[in-house]
Amino acid sequence: MNHRFVLPLIAFALLVCSCSKDVQDIYLYEVQQVDVSQSGVEKNNLKSDLEFISLAYSDLLDETISNQNLNRMILAYTSVGDKELIADILIRNLLNSPNANIPSNDVMRSDVDQFILDIYGKLFVREPNEYEAWFLKDMIDNDPDLTPEMIFYAFLTSDEYRYF
Amino acid sequence: MKRRHFLKSSSLATAGMFSIPYILPSGRLFAQTMNRKVNHVVFCLFAGGVRNMESVHQDLGNLMPAMLEGSPSSLDGLVSVPPPVWNKPLAEEGTLFKEFRYAEGPTGHYNGHTVALTGTYTNTGLNLRANPEAPTIFEYYLKHNSPAVTARNAWWVSNALGPYPALNYSSHASYGPMYGANHIAPTSLFSGTTFPAISNPKQFQFHEEEKIGALRSFLNRNFDKEALASGIGNFNTDEDAAAIQGFIAGIFQKAQTGAYNTPLDLPQNQATNDVLTILFAEEVIQTFTPELLVVNMTDVDICHQNFTGYCNSLQLSDYAVGHLWQTIQNTPGMADDTIMIIVPEHGRNREVNTIQDVYGRYGLDHTGDDSSREIFSIILGPDGIVNKNIVVGTPTSPVGESIDLVPTVANILGFDGDIPSSLLAGRVLEEAFV
Repeated sequence: MNHRFVLPLIAFALLVCSCSKDVQDIYLYEVQQVDVSQSGVEKNNLKSDLEFISLAYSDLLDETISNQNLNRMILAYTSVGDKELIADILIRNLLNSPNANIPSNDVMRSDVDQFILDIYGKLFVREPNEYEAWFLKDMIDNDPDLTPEMIFYAFLTSDEYRYF
Repeated sequence: MKRRHFLKSSSLATAGMFSIPYILPSGRLFAQTMNRKVNHVVFCLFAGGVRNMESVHQDLGNLMPAMLEGSPSSLDGLVSVPPPVWNKPLAEEGTLFKEFRYAEGPTGHYNGHTVALTGTYTNTGLNLRANPEAPTIFEYYLKHNSPAVTARNAWWVSNALGPYPALNYSSHASYGPMYGANHIAPTSLFSGTTFPAISNPKQFQFHEEEKIGALRSFLNRNFDKEALASGIGNFNTDEDAAAIQGFIAGIFQKAQTGAYNTPLDLPQNQATNDVLTILFAEEVIQTFTPELLVVNMTDVDICHQNFTGYCNSLQLSDYAVGHLWQTIQNTPGMADDTIMIIVPEHGRNREVNTIQDVYGRYGLDHTGDDSSREIFSIILGPDGIVNKNIVVGTPTSPVGESIDLVPTVANILGFDGDIPSSLLAGRVLEEAFV
């Protein structure tokens, strides 16, 4: 066979094979779907005082802080020298707000696992690891006097909550 | 939280100094023998810019009867202020430095306050919202006083916000926020604006706080960074912080019962910022009996555009200072054991500006002429400690400068010997003491 005819013939055969392969087998490439949550150790940015105040407000009251409320909180914050002290007063005041969206004790105890997932997700923007979930569940299960308010307060005044 | 743990550890270390040799923060091996004149100092910055012509020279008659002896002013437009509450002019309870000087640097409010609180002249720009570079009297006190004390004993009560909150500690590398005073700006803090934000904090029982603390410790152990409030601020122990939170809550409770409707026994229409600032300084005094409290007033600065208003503010601020002294003398623990220092931060220009008030009087600025550097000071206190009814200084031979106030306070409280000599250029105002 003349080489002039052989090479185009091979090329044609390969083309036909590759086309038939495309038709016969369909591969779909995609990344496996996973929920992404930020690990605590990846939080490197300290919230400014302004961010801390406004985020605590939003997290507790489930609404964006208004300018009026932000201004009054900043005014109080600026008027006291010990910033940790005044931030604590502001947080405690939010906890006492009738609009604070904190689950009741009954709701928490009816599904402790879900409560733990929710509070880590809401305030730490991540899932708890197994040890964290076990520890908190153990605390709640073994202490009937531990209230959701107390747990929210501990989270809001923790070091991790100061970071994002 | 962790910083408070640090403070607890520091307190334990301090407690141990009575039984073992202890190297003081200043580098001394043993604490210097205490040689206090009294155990409390109230430093009243009669500030906002007060000219000697209207104060101690009494060119318009005596506008400050609580502090000074003299014939009453008959200036048209003056409001009626109740007579002084103390039984004699405060100058007679101590030494009047009639010709005191703010000798160097810009005659701005920030500079004047900074010099008075650091004992160091500064050329830093006007109204800068930054901590001063030189250590403040609060830091000297909290670092060098022996035995060690906490910030509960050191208060800075400011008439306003702006640059003033930054004066409770410096940016000096050897001092800083760890030695800062508790600052409050009461007219901002205890206001209708802040009421919804801070007046009703959730209170937990002690056993609940313990459980919260245990959970918080667990959460913090699982996080690799320590979070101080990013604005830093001064430090308090847990115990002191709880006391201060209780103090703030108590003020709101008292306000709701109408306890402050006639502040310092004045009618509502005379409840100026200065009057209210002194009122809450008195609350601090009665609650904490601090060893060092600095309070300022600034209402007289209305003089830029209203000279008659300036004179009225002088009257009210003078009345308030007299009330402050009476409260000190009625407070167990501070009565007969307190020295009060009164001083403006700077004066005002000799020449008027172009702004007239409704009485046709022109305003006064403070831009650095000789008159804006001429001020006075009164140092008053207990018999046998302070020279009484003495006047020192003449216009041609002034006595005392603003930079002398910090060394004087340190000397009164007995820690001046521990301050590195390179940090302070002023002297102790010995003329005031027996």
